[in-house]
Amino acid sequence: MNIKKQFKEGLITNNPVTVQLIGMCATMAITTTLFNGVGMGLSVLIILTCCNVAVSAIRKIIPNDIRLAIFVVIIAGFVTIVDLLLQAFIPALSESLGVFIPLIVVNCIIIGRAEAFSQKNTVGASFFDGVFQGLGYTCVLIVMCVFREQIGSGRFGGGLIDVSNGFRFTLDGTGAGIQLFNADYGASIMNLPFGGFITLGLLIAVMQHFLKKSAKKKEAEAAAAAEAEKEAD
Amino acid sequence: MNKILKLTVILFLICAIVAGVLGLINEVTWRRIDQIQTEKTARAYAAVLESEDYEDLGVEPSTINKVSINSIARASNGAGYVVEVTFSGAQGSVTMVVGVDNDYRCTGVSITEHSETSGLGANAASPAEVGVNFRSQFVGADDSVALKKAGGEIDALAGATITSRGVTNGVAAAIQAVKALG
Repeated sequence: MNIKKQFKEGLITNNPVTVQLIGMCATMAITTTLFNGVGMGLSVLIILTCCNVAVSAIRKIIPNDIRLAIFVVIIAGFVTIVDLLLQAFIPALSESLGVFIPLIVVNCIIIGRAEAFSQKNTVGASFFDGVFQGLGYTCVLIVMCVFREQIGSGRFGGGLIDVSNGFRFTLDGTGAGIQLFNADYGASIMNLPFGGFITLGLLIAVMQHFLKKSAKKKEAEAAAAAEAEKEAD
Repeated sequence: MNKILKLTVILFLICAIVAGVLGLINEVTWRRIDQIQTEKTARAYAAVLESEDYEDLGVEPSTINKVSINSIARASNGAGYVVEVTFSGAQGSVTMVVGVDNDYRCTGVSITEHSETSGLGANAASPAEVGVNFRSQFVGADDSVALKKAGGEIDALAGATITSRGVTNGVAAAIQAVKALG
């Protein structure tokens, strides 16, 4: 098992949003405040990990012809279980995260990872894949939330941080955030879906630029190493 | 033939297991969820129209202008009525309670159940400033309440015209329903 490689893949070289380009609908819809980003990211992380483990545990008895149907049943099952448990035992969290949970059923990251990874790998590897892909997703959401909230409403940490009465974290989504400049000067278009498209586009471009650069560097290194070998001969 | 049978059996078994687990979880949780929902509704009633008790008038569910009127309750202190309405928002149905005083004016709204898009339509129900400001616009409104786009006074939520229009129609319908009581 190569945890380090999986970590790097989940967060950078095979990031679900910026490299695999999956799960983008929810990404654009909810990245308006930091609270939403963290909430959605963590919900996906937990459910993705559960589904990955479940799928890889039964991967040997899933017939290839009906695997997608089985994945959908498992994903919908887990989402419903988490939803019911949250509603019953942590109602405050359920109230603030409740809106994200149904979105996860149709989030293609989960079925994408079941199809591409956990149906072919061991339970342990699938568990770490779920955690790291979930983290990668959360990181992208957080970057987008911070950017959009900052430019759109001149604010940082909306819903999650409250500074009116000393610095504290609000887990029920009521914190006003840290106002960096007057919200009236914000480009409120960044809060609309349009701003989501622009931010996501920019983020993917930046990411691809650096990925290409590092790929080129590796190629050059490999070429130089080959050259050196030749000379040594 | 054998293959089809095998696939069917496996899919059936997995569905049965998942359904069984869900049933079990539901059995453990439904009472608590029900209780929490009842408390939430009670809080919503108190938030829109203050009273010690509410007496359900037991009206037949009806529909006004595509808004379903689920129930109407009279405040026991005589301050007015609380109407529970359901209408369709941008993503699914939205349930809301509306307080109406004896002059047929809205005393407040509170959204109890919805599945609107987080950050856009969901702001209508949000406990944060944006939601509080949106909902407070309806206090004092009568049944001609309308969005600015439609020539009224209500500022729609940014990026959530459908939800805002739904809430506005819901308030208007609730007031009409109370008027119809006579």
